[in-house]
Amino acid sequence: MATGESWRIRYLPPAISLIAGAALWQWVGSQTSAAFLSTFSATVARLVALTVSGEVVTALAESMTLFFTGLVIAILIAVPLGVMLARFRVLRVASETYIMMLYATPMAALIPFILSLMGFGFTPKVVVVVLFAMFPILYNTIEGARSVKPELIEVARSYRSSEWGLWRDVLIPYTLPFALTGIRQGIGRGLVGMIAAEFYLSASGIGRLITVSERDFDTAGVLASIIIISILGAALMAVGRRLENHFAAWRGLGR
Amino acid sequence: MSSGAATIRRAAVTDPTHRTESASQSRIRTVGAGKRYGDFQVFRDVDLEVGAREVVALVGPSGCGKTTLLRCIDGLLPISDGEILIEGARVTEPRAGVAMVFQHFGLFPWKTVFDNVAYGLRLAGAAKADIAEKVPHFINMVGLKGFEKVYPYQMSGGMQQRCGLARALAVEPKVLLMDEPFAAVDAQTREILQLELLSIWEMRPTTMLFVTHSIEEAVLMGDRVVVLKGRPSTVHEVIEVDLPHPRTRETLTLPRFAELREIVWNTLKDEARQAEFELEKGR
Repeated sequence: MATGESWRIRYLPPAISLIAGAALWQWVGSQTSAAFLSTFSATVARLVALTVSGEVVTALAESMTLFFTGLVIAILIAVPLGVMLARFRVLRVASETYIMMLYATPMAALIPFILSLMGFGFTPKVVVVVLFAMFPILYNTIEGARSVKPELIEVARSYRSSEWGLWRDVLIPYTLPFALTGIRQGIGRGLVGMIAAEFYLSASGIGRLITVSERDFDTAGVLASIIIISILGAALMAVGRRLENHFAAWRGLGR
Repeated sequence: MSSGAATIRRAAVTDPTHRTESASQSRIRTVGAGKRYGDFQVFRDVDLEVGAREVVALVGPSGCGKTTLLRCIDGLLPISDGEILIEGARVTEPRAGVAMVFQHFGLFPWKTVFDNVAYGLRLAGAAKADIAEKVPHFINMVGLKGFEKVYPYQMSGGMQQRCGLARALAVEPKVLLMDEPFAAVDAQTREILQLELLSIWEMRPTTMLFVTHSIEEAVLMGDRVVVLKGRPSTVHEVIEVDLPHPRTRETLTLPRFAELREIVWNTLKDEARQAEFELEKGR
Protein backbone atom coordinates (compact mmCIF):
# COMPACT_ATOMS: atom_id res chain seq x y z
CA MET A 1 0.00 0.00 0.00
CA ALA A 2 1.34 3.38 -1.04
CA THR A 3 -0.25 5.17 1.90
CA GLY A 4 1.29 2.70 4.37
CA GLU A 5 4.63 3.23 2.71
CA SER A 6 4.48 7.02 2.91
CA TRP A 7 3.23 6.82 6.50
CA ARG A 8 6.26 4.76 7.40
CA ILE A 9 8.62 7.20 5.72
CA ARG A 10 6.87 10.17 7.23
CA TYR A 11 6.68 9.12 10.86
CA LEU A 12 8.94 6.15 11.48
CA PRO A 13 12.42 7.73 11.06
CA PRO A 14 11.66 10.79 13.23
CA ALA A 15 10.10 8.54 15.90
CA ILE A 16 13.14 6.26 15.96
CA SER A 17 15.50 9.24 16.03
CA LEU A 18 13.58 10.82 18.94
CA ILE A 19 13.61 7.59 20.92
CA ALA A 20 17.33 7.16 20.23
CA GLY A 21 17.99 10.75 21.32
CA ALA A 22 16.04 10.26 24.56
CA ALA A 23 17.89 6.99 25.25
CA LEU A 24 21.26 8.66 24.67
CA TRP A 25 20.26 11.53 26.94
CA GLN A 26 19.12 9.07 29.60
CA TRP A 27 22.43 7.20 29.43
CA VAL A 28 24.68 10.31 29.43
CA GLY A 29 22.56 11.82 32.23
CA SER A 30 22.89 8.72 34.37
CA GLN A 31 26.71 8.83 33.97
CA THR A 32 26.93 12.49 35.04
CA SER A 33 26.30 14.37 38.26
CA ALA A 34 22.69 15.55 38.50
CA ALA A 35 23.95 19.12 39.03
CA PHE A 36 25.39 19.14 35.49
CA LEU A 37 22.88 17.13 33.52
CA SER A 38 19.71 15.46 34.68
CA THR A 39 18.43 12.35 32.97
CA PHE A 40 15.67 12.36 30.40
CA SER A 41 13.24 10.69 32.76
CA ALA A 42 14.03 13.15 35.58
CA THR A 43 13.47 16.07 33.18
CA VAL A 44 10.14 14.69 32.01
CA ALA A 45 9.10 14.07 35.61
CA ARG A 46 10.00 17.66 36.51
CA LEU A 47 8.11 18.93 33.46
CA VAL A 48 5.02 17.03 34.57
CA ALA A 49 5.40 18.31 38.14
CA LEU A 50 5.79 21.91 36.97
CA THR A 51 2.75 21.53 34.76
CA VAL A 52 0.62 20.01 37.50
CA SER A 53 1.62 22.73 39.99
CA GLY A 54 0.50 25.33 37.46
CA GLU A 55 3.89 27.07 37.30
CA VAL A 56 4.30 26.28 33.60
CA VAL A 57 0.91 27.71 32.77
CA THR A 58 1.57 30.95 34.65
CA ALA A 59 5.04 31.31 33.14
CA LEU A 60 3.78 30.54 29.64
CA ALA A 61 0.96 33.05 29.96
CA GLU A 62 3.42 35.76 31.01
CA SER A 63 5.91 34.94 28.30
CA MET A 64 3.31 34.65 25.56
CA THR A 65 1.73 37.97 26.49
CA LEU A 66 5.15 39.57 26.17
CA PHE A 67 6.01 37.71 22.99
CA PHE A 68 2.77 38.35 21.10
CA THR A 69 2.58 41.99 22.16
CA GLY A 70 6.08 42.47 20.80
CA LEU A 71 5.48 40.44 17.64
CA VAL A 72 2.23 42.21 16.77
CA ILE A 73 3.82 45.63 17.28
CA ALA A 74 6.81 44.55 15.18
CA ILE A 75 4.47 43.42 12.37
CA LEU A 76 2.39 46.58 12.58
CA ILE A 77 5.51 48.71 12.29
CA ALA A 78 7.57 46.68 9.85
CA VAL A 79 5.00 45.73 7.19
CA PRO A 80 3.60 49.20 6.40
CA LEU A 81 7.04 50.74 6.80
CA GLY A 82 8.53 48.15 4.48
CA VAL A 83 5.93 48.74 1.75
CA MET A 84 6.38 52.48 2.13
CA LEU A 85 10.16 52.26 1.89
CA ALA A 86 9.86 50.09 -1.19
CA ARG A 87 7.40 52.45 -2.82
CA PHE A 88 9.24 55.70 -2.16
CA ARG A 89 12.80 55.41 -3.33
CA VAL A 90 14.06 58.52 -1.54
CA LEU A 91 12.96 57.18 1.84
CA ARG A 92 14.52 53.83 1.11
CA VAL A 93 17.88 55.22 0.04
CA ALA A 94 17.91 57.53 3.04
CA SER A 95 17.17 54.81 5.58
CA GLU A 96 18.90 51.82 3.99
CA THR A 97 22.14 52.18 5.95
CA TYR A 98 20.36 52.34 9.29
CA ILE A 99 18.24 49.32 8.50
CA MET A 100 21.20 47.25 7.36
CA MET A 101 23.17 48.25 10.47
CA LEU A 102 20.31 47.46 12.83
CA TYR A 103 19.57 44.20 11.03
CA ALA A 104 23.19 43.17 11.50
CA THR A 105 23.49 44.37 15.10
CA PRO A 106 23.08 41.66 17.74
CA MET A 107 20.10 43.14 19.54
CA ALA A 108 21.23 41.68 22.88
CA ALA A 109 23.91 44.38 22.85
CA LEU A 110 21.17 46.99 23.13
CA ILE A 111 19.58 45.52 26.26
CA PRO A 112 21.77 47.37 28.83
CA PHE A 113 21.04 50.58 26.96
CA ILE A 114 17.30 49.92 27.03
CA LEU A 115 17.57 49.08 30.72
CA SER A 116 19.23 52.39 31.59
CA LEU A 117 16.80 54.25 29.36
CA MET A 118 13.53 52.63 30.36
CA GLY A 119 14.24 50.71 33.53
CA PHE A 120 12.36 47.56 34.50
CA GLY A 121 8.74 46.82 33.70
CA PHE A 122 6.70 45.42 30.86
CA THR A 123 7.32 48.17 28.28
CA PRO A 124 11.13 47.86 27.96
CA LYS A 125 10.72 44.08 27.57
CA VAL A 126 8.24 44.61 24.76
CA VAL A 127 10.72 47.00 23.16
CA VAL A 128 13.35 44.27 23.24
CA VAL A 129 11.03 41.74 21.58
CA VAL A 130 10.04 44.32 18.95
CA LEU A 131 13.68 45.10 18.18
CA PHE A 132 14.54 41.42 17.86
CA ALA A 133 11.55 40.52 15.69
CA MET A 134 11.19 43.62 13.55
CA PHE A 135 14.17 43.64 11.24
CA PRO A 136 13.73 40.36 9.39
CA ILE A 137 10.08 41.36 8.79
CA LEU A 138 11.08 44.81 7.58
CA TYR A 139 13.86 43.50 5.38
CA ASN A 140 11.73 40.82 3.71
CA THR A 141 8.80 43.20 3.24
CA ILE A 142 11.01 45.75 1.50
CA GLU A 143 12.47 43.07 -0.77
CA GLY A 144 8.99 41.76 -1.55
CA ALA A 145 7.36 45.12 -2.18
CA ARG A 146 10.26 46.15 -4.40
CA SER A 147 9.65 43.17 -6.64
CA VAL A 148 6.00 44.08 -7.34
CA LYS A 149 5.59 43.83 -11.08
CA PRO A 150 5.48 47.32 -12.64
CA GLU A 151 2.88 45.92 -15.07
CA LEU A 152 0.43 45.41 -12.22
CA ILE A 153 0.98 48.93 -10.94
CA GLU A 154 0.34 50.11 -14.49
CA VAL A 155 -2.95 48.17 -14.60
CA ALA A 156 -4.01 49.81 -11.34
CA ARG A 157 -3.14 53.24 -12.71
CA SER A 158 -4.96 52.52 -15.96
CA TYR A 159 -8.08 51.70 -13.96
CA ARG A 160 -7.68 54.98 -12.05
CA SER A 161 -6.77 53.46 -8.72
CA SER A 162 -6.11 55.77 -5.80
CA GLU A 163 -2.87 55.40 -3.85
CA TRP A 164 -4.78 53.61 -1.09
CA GLY A 165 -6.44 51.36 -3.66
CA LEU A 166 -3.03 50.54 -5.06
CA TRP A 167 -1.89 49.45 -1.59
CA ARG A 168 -5.07 47.47 -0.93
CA ASP A 169 -5.33 45.70 -4.30
CA VAL A 170 -1.72 45.38 -5.41
CA LEU A 171 1.09 46.24 -3.01
CA ILE A 172 -0.14 44.53 0.16
CA PRO A 173 -1.44 41.29 -1.41
CA TYR A 174 1.73 41.00 -3.46
CA THR A 175 3.98 41.65 -0.48
CA LEU A 176 2.11 39.49 2.02
CA PRO A 177 3.89 36.17 1.30
CA PHE A 178 7.27 37.92 1.54
CA ALA A 179 6.24 39.62 4.78
CA LEU A 180 5.17 36.22 6.14
CA THR A 181 8.60 34.79 5.37
CA GLY A 182 9.95 37.67 7.43
CA ILE A 183 7.39 37.05 10.16
CA ARG A 184 8.43 33.41 10.36
CA GLN A 185 12.04 34.51 10.87
CA GLY A 186 10.79 37.22 13.23
CA ILE A 187 9.06 34.57 15.37
CA GLY A 188 12.38 32.80 15.94
CA ARG A 189 14.19 36.02 16.72
CA GLY A 190 11.35 37.31 18.85
CA LEU A 191 11.56 34.20 21.07
CA VAL A 192 15.24 34.92 21.60
CA GLY A 193 14.31 38.49 22.46
CA MET A 194 11.63 37.29 24.86
CA ILE A 195 14.03 35.07 26.81
CA ALA A 196 16.76 37.72 26.77
CA ALA A 197 14.34 40.33 28.10
CA GLU A 198 13.14 37.95 30.80
CA PHE A 199 16.73 37.22 31.79
CA TYR A 200 18.21 40.68 31.80
CA LEU A 201 15.28 42.95 32.52
CA SER A 202 12.64 42.20 35.16
CA ALA A 203 12.49 38.42 35.48
CA SER A 204 9.23 36.88 34.35
CA GLY A 205 7.69 33.93 32.55
CA ILE A 206 9.76 31.07 31.20
CA GLY A 207 12.92 33.15 31.54
CA ARG A 208 12.33 33.46 35.27
CA LEU A 209 11.53 29.75 35.51
CA ILE A 210 14.96 29.00 34.02
CA THR A 211 16.78 31.53 36.23
CA VAL A 212 15.09 30.27 39.41
CA SER A 213 15.68 26.59 38.58
CA GLU A 214 19.32 27.34 37.83
CA ARG A 215 19.76 29.21 41.14
CA ASP A 216 18.31 26.19 42.95
CA PHE A 217 20.66 23.83 41.03
CA ASP A 218 17.48 22.27 39.65
CA THR A 219 19.01 21.10 36.34
CA ALA A 220 15.90 19.07 35.48
CA GLY A 221 13.82 22.23 35.91
CA VAL A 222 16.17 24.20 33.60
CA LEU A 223 16.02 21.52 30.94
CA ALA A 224 12.24 21.17 31.29
CA SER A 225 11.87 24.92 30.72
CA ILE A 226 14.13 24.78 27.69
CA ILE A 227 12.06 21.94 26.24
CA ILE A 228 8.94 24.08 26.67
CA ILE A 229 10.52 26.91 24.67
CA SER A 230 11.77 24.53 21.99
CA ILE A 231 8.33 22.99 21.49
CA LEU A 232 6.76 26.45 21.51
CA GLY A 233 9.21 27.78 18.93
CA ALA A 234 8.71 24.80 16.64
CA ALA A 235 4.92 25.11 16.90
CA LEU A 236 4.95 28.86 16.15
CA MET A 237 7.25 28.33 13.17
CA ALA A 238 4.91 25.66 11.83
CA VAL A 239 1.97 28.05 12.15
CA GLY A 240 4.03 30.68 10.35
CA ARG A 241 4.80 28.30 7.52
CA ARG A 242 1.14 27.33 7.22
CA LEU A 243 0.15 30.98 6.92
CA GLU A 244 2.90 31.62 4.41
CA ASN A 245 1.75 28.77 2.18
CA HIS A 246 -1.85 29.85 2.49
CA PHE A 247 -1.17 33.40 1.34
CA ALA A 248 1.33 32.35 -1.29
CA ALA A 249 -1.08 29.95 -2.99
CA TRP A 250 -1.57 32.36 -5.88
CA ARG A 251 2.09 32.02 -6.77
CA GLY A 252 1.13 28.57 -7.99
CA LEU A 253 3.40 26.86 -5.48
CA GLY A 254 0.50 25.71 -3.38
CA ARG A 255 -0.49 22.96 -5.74
CA MET B 1 -20.08 30.44 -52.63
CA SER B 2 -23.60 31.68 -52.05
CA SER B 3 -23.02 32.19 -48.36
CA GLY B 4 -19.95 34.28 -49.10
CA ALA B 5 -21.94 36.46 -51.46
CA ALA B 6 -24.62 36.89 -48.81
CA THR B 7 -22.06 38.12 -46.34
CA ILE B 8 -20.79 40.70 -48.76
CA ARG B 9 -24.30 41.85 -49.59
CA ARG B 10 -25.28 42.21 -45.98
CA ALA B 11 -22.07 44.05 -45.28
CA ALA B 12 -22.63 46.38 -48.22
CA VAL B 13 -25.81 47.46 -46.48
CA THR B 14 -24.36 47.88 -43.01
CA ASP B 15 -21.05 49.35 -44.01
CA PRO B 16 -22.08 52.87 -45.13
CA THR B 17 -23.91 53.54 -41.85
CA HIS B 18 -20.88 52.38 -40.06
CA ARG B 19 -18.67 54.82 -41.96
CA THR B 20 -20.81 57.93 -41.63
CA GLU B 21 -21.21 57.43 -37.91
CA SER B 22 -17.52 57.13 -37.39
CA ALA B 23 -16.80 60.17 -39.51
CA SER B 24 -19.22 62.39 -37.63
CA GLN B 25 -17.37 62.37 -34.33
CA SER B 26 -13.90 61.30 -33.31
CA ARG B 27 -13.46 59.66 -29.94
CA ILE B 28 -9.68 59.65 -30.06
CA ARG B 29 -7.76 62.48 -31.67
CA THR B 30 -4.05 63.10 -31.57
CA VAL B 31 -2.68 66.34 -32.93
CA GLY B 32 1.03 66.55 -33.65
CA ALA B 33 1.65 64.10 -30.84
CA GLY B 34 5.31 63.48 -30.04
CA LYS B 35 7.16 61.60 -27.33
CA ARG B 36 10.74 62.15 -26.29
CA TYR B 37 12.90 60.52 -23.65
CA GLY B 38 15.67 63.07 -23.23
CA ASP B 39 17.27 63.36 -26.65
CA PHE B 40 15.62 60.23 -27.93
CA GLN B 41 12.53 60.97 -29.98
CA VAL B 42 10.24 57.94 -30.06
CA PHE B 43 7.56 59.34 -32.38
CA ARG B 44 6.63 62.78 -33.67
CA ASP B 45 3.83 64.60 -35.44
CA VAL B 46 1.34 61.80 -35.02
CA ASP B 47 -2.08 62.90 -36.25
CA LEU B 48 -4.68 60.26 -35.70
CA GLU B 49 -8.43 60.17 -35.48
CA VAL B 50 -10.58 57.26 -34.43
CA GLY B 51 -14.35 57.49 -34.76
CA ALA B 52 -16.96 56.33 -32.29
CA ARG B 53 -17.59 52.96 -33.90
CA GLU B 54 -14.30 52.56 -35.62
CA VAL B 55 -11.50 50.09 -35.19
CA VAL B 56 -8.07 51.36 -36.07
CA ALA B 57 -5.16 48.97 -36.17
CA LEU B 58 -1.75 50.39 -35.47
CA VAL B 59 1.19 48.54 -36.98
CA GLY B 60 4.85 49.31 -37.28
CA PRO B 61 8.26 47.80 -36.76
CA SER B 62 9.45 46.82 -33.29
CA GLY B 63 10.54 49.82 -31.32
CA CYS B 64 8.54 52.27 -33.44
CA GLY B 65 6.69 53.39 -30.35
CA LYS B 66 3.21 52.09 -31.09
CA THR B 67 2.81 50.73 -27.58
CA THR B 68 4.23 53.97 -26.17
CA LEU B 69 1.64 55.92 -28.19
CA LEU B 70 -1.11 53.70 -26.82
CA ARG B 71 0.10 54.31 -23.26
CA CYS B 72 0.09 58.05 -23.91
CA ILE B 73 -3.49 57.79 -25.18
CA ASP B 74 -4.46 55.86 -22.04
CA GLY B 75 -2.88 58.63 -19.97
CA LEU B 76 -0.27 56.33 -18.43
CA LEU B 77 2.55 58.34 -20.00
CA PRO B 78 2.64 62.07 -20.69
CA ILE B 79 3.34 63.14 -24.26
CA SER B 80 6.10 65.62 -24.98
CA ASP B 81 4.57 67.55 -27.87
CA GLY B 82 1.14 68.12 -29.34
CA GLU B 83 -2.02 66.91 -27.72
CA ILE B 84 -4.16 63.86 -27.25
CA LEU B 85 -7.89 64.32 -26.97
CA ILE B 86 -10.52 61.82 -25.96
CA GLU B 87 -14.03 63.00 -26.67
CA GLY B 88 -12.56 66.46 -27.05
CA ALA B 89 -10.91 66.50 -23.62
CA ARG B 90 -7.15 66.60 -23.20
CA VAL B 91 -5.66 63.44 -21.75
CA THR B 92 -3.41 64.11 -18.79
CA GLU B 93 -4.12 61.01 -16.71
CA PRO B 94 -6.07 57.77 -17.18
CA ARG B 95 -9.67 58.61 -17.91
CA ALA B 96 -12.95 56.93 -17.06
CA GLY B 97 -14.51 55.35 -20.13
CA VAL B 98 -11.15 54.23 -21.49
CA ALA B 99 -9.99 50.69 -20.86
CA MET B 100 -6.83 48.94 -21.90
CA VAL B 101 -6.15 45.29 -22.59
CA PHE B 102 -2.53 44.46 -21.96
CA GLN B 103 -0.16 42.18 -23.80
CA HIS B 104 0.99 40.79 -20.46
CA PHE B 105 -2.68 40.30 -19.40
CA GLY B 106 -2.04 42.21 -16.17
CA LEU B 107 -4.25 39.97 -14.06
CA PHE B 108 -3.86 40.04 -10.31
CA PRO B 109 -2.65 36.54 -9.44
CA TRP B 110 -4.21 36.64 -5.96
CA LYS B 111 -7.65 37.46 -7.31
CA THR B 112 -10.07 34.98 -8.83
CA VAL B 113 -11.47 35.43 -12.32
CA PHE B 114 -14.55 37.01 -10.77
CA ASP B 115 -12.57 39.48 -8.69
CA ASN B 116 -10.26 40.33 -11.57
CA VAL B 117 -13.20 41.09 -13.83
CA ALA B 118 -14.86 43.08 -11.05
CA TYR B 119 -11.70 45.13 -10.45
CA GLY B 120 -12.46 48.06 -12.73
CA LEU B 121 -16.11 48.20 -11.64
CA ARG B 122 -15.16 48.22 -7.96
CA LEU B 123 -12.64 51.01 -8.47
CA ALA B 124 -15.30 52.96 -10.35
CA GLY B 125 -17.49 52.63 -7.26
CA ALA B 126 -20.14 50.39 -8.81
CA ALA B 127 -22.91 49.14 -6.52
CA LYS B 128 -22.72 45.57 -5.25
CA ALA B 129 -25.85 44.57 -7.11
CA ASP B 130 -24.43 46.07 -10.27
CA ILE B 131 -21.24 44.05 -9.89
CA ALA B 132 -23.17 40.87 -9.12
CA GLU B 133 -25.11 41.33 -12.35
CA LYS B 134 -22.46 42.61 -14.75
CA VAL B 135 -19.45 40.50 -13.83
CA PRO B 136 -21.06 37.12 -14.66
CA HIS B 137 -22.46 38.65 -17.82
CA PHE B 138 -19.03 39.62 -19.13
CA ILE B 139 -17.42 36.42 -17.88
CA ASN B 140 -20.04 34.65 -19.93
CA MET B 141 -19.41 36.84 -22.93
CA VAL B 142 -15.73 35.91 -23.12
CA GLY B 143 -16.54 32.24 -22.62
CA LEU B 144 -15.25 31.82 -19.07
CA LYS B 145 -18.51 30.69 -17.51
CA GLY B 146 -17.76 28.19 -14.77
CA PHE B 147 -14.29 29.62 -14.14
CA GLU B 148 -15.40 32.41 -11.79
CA LYS B 149 -13.55 31.03 -8.78
CA VAL B 150 -10.41 29.99 -10.62
CA TYR B 151 -7.09 31.80 -10.17
CA PRO B 152 -5.05 33.05 -13.14
CA TYR B 153 -2.21 30.60 -12.57
CA GLN B 154 -4.66 27.75 -13.05
CA MET B 155 -5.54 28.92 -16.56
CA SER B 156 -3.88 28.91 -19.98
CA GLY B 157 -2.64 32.13 -21.56
CA GLY B 158 -5.65 32.32 -23.83
CA MET B 159 -8.04 32.01 -20.90
CA GLN B 160 -6.10 34.61 -18.97
CA GLN B 161 -6.47 37.07 -21.81
CA ARG B 162 -10.19 36.30 -22.01
CA CYS B 163 -10.29 37.36 -18.38
CA GLY B 164 -8.29 40.50 -19.18
CA LEU B 165 -10.72 41.30 -21.95
CA ALA B 166 -13.74 40.76 -19.69
CA ARG B 167 -12.21 43.11 -17.12
CA ALA B 168 -11.88 45.82 -19.76
CA LEU B 169 -15.35 45.21 -21.21
CA ALA B 170 -16.95 45.19 -17.76
CA VAL B 171 -16.43 48.92 -17.29
CA GLU B 172 -18.30 49.36 -20.59
CA PRO B 173 -15.66 51.64 -22.03
CA LYS B 174 -16.23 54.10 -24.84
CA VAL B 175 -12.66 53.56 -25.92
CA LEU B 176 -10.94 50.21 -25.90
CA LEU B 177 -7.16 50.24 -26.20
CA MET B 178 -5.63 46.93 -27.19
CA ASP B 179 -1.91 46.56 -26.65
CA GLU B 180 -0.90 43.53 -28.72
CA PRO B 181 -3.50 41.58 -26.76
CA PHE B 182 -2.96 38.25 -28.48
CA ALA B 183 0.80 38.40 -28.99
CA ALA B 184 1.49 36.17 -26.00
CA VAL B 185 -0.85 33.32 -26.95
CA ASP B 186 -0.33 30.54 -29.46
CA ALA B 187 -1.42 30.93 -33.09
CA GLN B 188 -4.59 28.84 -32.90
CA THR B 189 -5.79 30.48 -29.71
CA ARG B 190 -5.03 33.86 -31.24
CA GLU B 191 -7.25 33.17 -34.22
CA ILE B 192 -10.10 32.01 -31.98
CA LEU B 193 -9.74 35.07 -29.76
CA GLN B 194 -9.60 37.43 -32.75
CA LEU B 195 -12.85 36.08 -34.13
CA GLU B 196 -14.53 36.12 -30.73
CA LEU B 197 -13.42 39.69 -30.15
CA LEU B 198 -14.88 40.60 -33.54
CA SER B 199 -18.22 39.06 -32.69
CA ILE B 200 -18.24 40.79 -29.29
CA TRP B 201 -17.43 44.03 -31.05
CA GLU B 202 -20.32 43.51 -33.48
CA MET B 203 -22.64 43.11 -30.48
CA ARG B 204 -21.51 46.33 -28.90
CA PRO B 205 -19.36 48.39 -31.24
CA THR B 206 -17.04 50.87 -29.57
CA THR B 207 -13.96 52.82 -30.47
CA MET B 208 -11.03 50.48 -30.61
CA LEU B 209 -7.37 51.20 -31.16
CA PHE B 210 -5.57 47.96 -31.75
CA VAL B 211 -1.80 47.76 -31.62
CA THR B 212 -0.44 44.65 -33.25
CA HIS B 213 2.62 43.06 -34.75
CA SER B 214 0.60 40.91 -37.08
CA ILE B 215 -0.37 42.30 -40.46
CA GLU B 216 -3.14 39.72 -40.81
CA GLU B 217 -4.58 40.71 -37.48
CA ALA B 218 -4.42 44.40 -38.40
CA VAL B 219 -6.33 43.83 -41.66
CA LEU B 220 -8.84 41.48 -40.05
CA MET B 221 -9.64 43.75 -37.10
CA GLY B 222 -9.21 47.25 -38.50
CA ASP B 223 -11.45 49.57 -40.47
CA ARG B 224 -8.20 51.35 -41.13
CA VAL B 225 -4.61 50.28 -40.70
CA VAL B 226 -2.26 53.01 -39.59
CA VAL B 227 1.39 52.33 -40.33
CA LEU B 228 3.96 53.95 -38.05
CA LYS B 229 7.43 54.06 -39.54
CA GLY B 230 10.75 55.87 -39.52
CA ARG B 231 13.18 57.05 -36.86
CA PRO B 232 11.66 58.84 -35.06
CA SER B 233 8.50 57.24 -36.30
CA THR B 234 5.42 58.97 -37.53
CA VAL B 235 2.27 58.03 -39.43
CA HIS B 236 3.61 56.74 -42.70
CA GLU B 237 0.47 55.54 -44.31
CA VAL B 238 -3.19 54.96 -43.60
CA ILE B 239 -4.81 52.07 -45.41
CA GLU B 240 -8.60 51.91 -45.60
CA VAL B 241 -9.79 48.39 -45.06
CA ASP B 242 -12.90 48.08 -47.19
CA LEU B 243 -13.72 44.59 -46.05
CA PRO B 244 -17.35 43.90 -45.19
CA HIS B 245 -18.73 43.68 -41.68
CA PRO B 246 -19.30 41.53 -39.79
CA ARG B 247 -15.80 40.17 -40.07
CA THR B 248 -15.75 36.45 -39.60
CA ARG B 249 -13.60 33.50 -40.46
CA GLU B 250 -14.80 33.86 -44.03
CA THR B 251 -13.23 37.29 -44.24
CA LEU B 252 -9.85 35.57 -44.20
CA THR B 253 -10.71 33.78 -47.42
CA LEU B 254 -11.74 36.87 -49.40
CA PRO B 255 -9.43 37.87 -52.26
CA ARG B 256 -9.64 41.46 -51.03
CA PHE B 257 -8.26 40.35 -47.67
CA ALA B 258 -5.20 38.94 -49.36
CA GLU B 259 -4.78 42.10 -51.44
CA LEU B 260 -4.97 44.36 -48.42
CA ARG B 261 -2.53 42.17 -46.57
CA GLU B 262 -0.10 42.58 -49.46
CA ILE B 263 -0.61 46.35 -49.49
CA VAL B 264 0.19 46.65 -45.79
CA TRP B 265 3.09 44.30 -46.19
CA ASN B 266 4.50 46.38 -49.05
CA THR B 267 4.42 49.56 -46.98
CA LEU B 268 6.48 47.82 -44.36
CA LYS B 269 8.76 45.51 -46.30
CA ASP B 270 11.41 48.07 -47.21
CA GLU B 271 11.94 48.62 -43.54
CA ALA B 272 15.11 46.91 -42.47
CA ARG B 273 13.32 45.24 -39.59
CA GLN B 274 10.88 43.38 -41.76
CA ALA B 275 12.15 40.10 -40.43
CA GLU B 276 10.48 40.90 -37.15
CA PHE B 277 7.06 40.85 -38.69
CA GLU B 278 4.78 37.93 -38.64
CA LEU B 279 3.18 37.81 -42.04
CA GLU B 280 2.02 34.26 -41.54
CA LYS B 281 1.72 33.76 -45.28
CA GLY B 282 1.44 30.06 -44.78
CA ARG B 283 -2.19 30.20 -43.70
